[in-house]
Amino acid sequence: MSPRLRAALIAGAIAATAFTVLAPYYGGWPGPPAPPIFVITQTVVLLAYLLVGLAAWQFRPAERIGLLFTVTGYAWMLGWLTDLHAALPFTIGYICNTLYQPFLAHLALAWPYGRLRSRFDRALVAANYAWNIGSNIVVTLFWNPRFTGCGSGCPANLLMLPGSTQLNGAGNLIVTVVSTCLTVTIVARIARHWMSARGYARRALTWMIWFSLPVAVYLELLEIVSDYDTGLSGVVVYGVCPLILAAGPIAYGVRMLLTRNAAGALGAALVNLEPGPDPDLLRDALAKALSDPSLRLAFRAADGDGYLDTHGLPAGPPPAGRMHTPLGPAGDAILIHDAELRHEPELVRAAAAAARLALEHARLQAEVRDQLEQVRASRARIVEAGDTARRRIERDLHDGAQQRLVTLSLALAMARRQAEGVSPALQELLESASKEAGEAIAELRELARGIHPAVLTESGLAGAIQSLAERSPVPVVIGAVPAGRFPAPVEATAYFVMSEALANVAKHAPRATARVTISQRTEQLVVEVSDDGPGGARPEAGSGLRGLADRVASVGGTLRVEDAADRGTRIEAAIPCR
Amino acid sequence: MPVSAAGPAPLRVVIAEDAVLLREGLSRLLADAGMDVAGTAGDAGRLLQLVAALRPAVVLADIRMPPTQTTEGLKAARQIRQLWPGTAVVVLSQHVETEVLFDLLADDPRGIGYVLKERVADIEQFTSAIRRVASGESVIDPEVVSRLVARQRQDSPLRTLTGREHDVLALMAEGRSNQAIARQLWMSPKTVETHVGSIFSKLSLAPAAEDHRRVLAVLTFLRH
Repeated sequence: MSPRLRAALIAGAIAATAFTVLAPYYGGWPGPPAPPIFVITQTVVLLAYLLVGLAAWQFRPAERIGLLFTVTGYAWMLGWLTDLHAALPFTIGYICNTLYQPFLAHLALAWPYGRLRSRFDRALVAANYAWNIGSNIVVTLFWNPRFTGCGSGCPANLLMLPGSTQLNGAGNLIVTVVSTCLTVTIVARIARHWMSARGYARRALTWMIWFSLPVAVYLELLEIVSDYDTGLSGVVVYGVCPLILAAGPIAYGVRMLLTRNAAGALGAALVNLEPGPDPDLLRDALAKALSDPSLRLAFRAADGDGYLDTHGLPAGPPPAGRMHTPLGPAGDAILIHDAELRHEPELVRAAAAAARLALEHARLQAEVRDQLEQVRASRARIVEAGDTARRRIERDLHDGAQQRLVTLSLALAMARRQAEGVSPALQELLESASKEAGEAIAELRELARGIHPAVLTESGLAGAIQSLAERSPVPVVIGAVPAGRFPAPVEATAYFVMSEALANVAKHAPRATARVTISQRTEQLVVEVSDDGPGGARPEAGSGLRGLADRVASVGGTLRVEDAADRGTRIEAAIPCR
Repeated sequence: MPVSAAGPAPLRVVIAEDAVLLREGLSRLLADAGMDVAGTAGDAGRLLQLVAALRPAVVLADIRMPPTQTTEGLKAARQIRQLWPGTAVVVLSQHVETEVLFDLLADDPRGIGYVLKERVADIEQFTSAIRRVASGESVIDPEVVSRLVARQRQDSPLRTLTGREHDVLALMAEGRSNQAIARQLWMSPKTVETHVGSIFSKLSLAPAAEDHRRVLAVLTFLRH
């Protein structure tokens, strides 16, 4: 809506309101004005149509409903031109007395988007307008204002045929029959629209029909109650009942506001689909939010050609009555929904945005999970590669260097024996060389053991735990240990845990006794090292426990450190072994 | 060969060792020490064939042999002990681990030796160990024994032993006789006997043949 149009509409609304409020008092009619309730009711109905029309025009410019509301408001106002005590407005007012009624019919037939659905409807609406204006003109021709009892003070009826009397019974009958035919046709058309409508349009029609019922009752009352009844029934029918007419536009306005809020609520509901939506659940949520049970959610096919819906069925171009709404500019996913929803662009946009957020959220989550999985796998591979390399170095040392040194030291020993009694100096030299070789062997053995304990490869955890216990400076009680063998990374990790934990005990609780237990639970090897020392182990403090936790995590396990001030420290590593 | 014509028949030995140079060296060493090296093998399979064919008194086997380079020699040793129970076996180990030792000693510790490979450079000690094993003793490398002695213990019957008794028991585990222990610890054979008796009673070993009780004491020592 352009600013000028808006300004004009607002100015028109103000002028119309001013007229409606002031005309009864300053119209020039003699005698006391009508009771204030009449003025209030007229004004409320006028404002309801004009303001809701303005708002609908503003927020749903694509729809004509706003225009229709506005025009209906003015049509309503025209009937009150009779408040002016002058011949021309009085005559026009009299002709347009019921002009708002064909507008109401127009509104009902064009509900909810403001467009008539068929040529028949257009013809029907046109005929209704023509009939209303035409019949009112004919009635006016035969209407002498003096019939109302205002005597000579009445403004003139400019159309009145001279010497006419009021329309006789035959004329009234024709009016009634034609009016009834038109009314019945309009009602039938509305019923038909209601039956064929789906989704949003269906609901909009449903509540429009509910609101129309009291209006219909009111219009019927107008036929029964005499125009000039000034008693209580006149006050009720003309002064109070027209308020019913305001209910329709007010309800429409409220609904418009609610829809805007619903769009926000929809977003929140979709984003809350945790942990990332199942496409089926997302589809259900969208279908519910948009009141379109046949809504489909489709994703671009893996080969980038066409779309597949959540059931894996290809989604071609939209058939009649359906339309596509892409979720985001990339168009990786689309909504296929009732074409009627194009009249609710805000709601569809909000739903699409919420769905896009949810999908993006799910995609990011999946990406993070995937990356985490990759990092986990590569960490496990790195640790395993390190273990493998250490095992190989240990083997090379034992089977290569150590063997050669043993052979060398044997040769030296035999040479020394041959040198016996031949050359004491040489014998002494060979003896010291032999001793050196022996020490080299011992050092090499410890070095190889530090790199990787052969006992772990040869005898598994049962042997390794024994070996660790023998070397530990603190007494070690060995609890249950499963006899079987486990995958190399599992054994290596369990060994690392025991070795580090025992070293920690020796360092921080040299007078304590350590206890080591290994138990096999379902798909898990649990290594437990506890001591009865003073406690005080903190994972974040020393790099020992930190490294231990890292190492256990590298094979997907968990490390738990329990530390009680006077009950010592307990380390429990759960290592998955499949 | 420096074999005395008047002495007993030379000790019949079969050697299994995959490193060729070391195998040659060992076989020369034992031959020089007056033993009859009846055959040599490079792997466990060949060793079993040779033992079946030659029925040696002693088998000297490297623990680590092809194809897995882990405990092939040990498995062969156990098999030999099962098939030919009288055969003495000395296994050569590259590292000080007790787990395999208990495996080996479990059935019958007599005639079993567990010696670190580097010990071959001490020719006298090494050959004497082979002879002692051949005569039914069990010999465990001093390094292994000292590791077991140094081990921290809890709730072990060995905790009741005095330091001196501990020393005696350690030497018993190495396969020394009472005389040898007396020499080593600078005490009279009588004192050694007293200690040994005390050890037996503290370990609650019921009176039986002396050598049987010695073996049991040593086993207790090793296991706790």
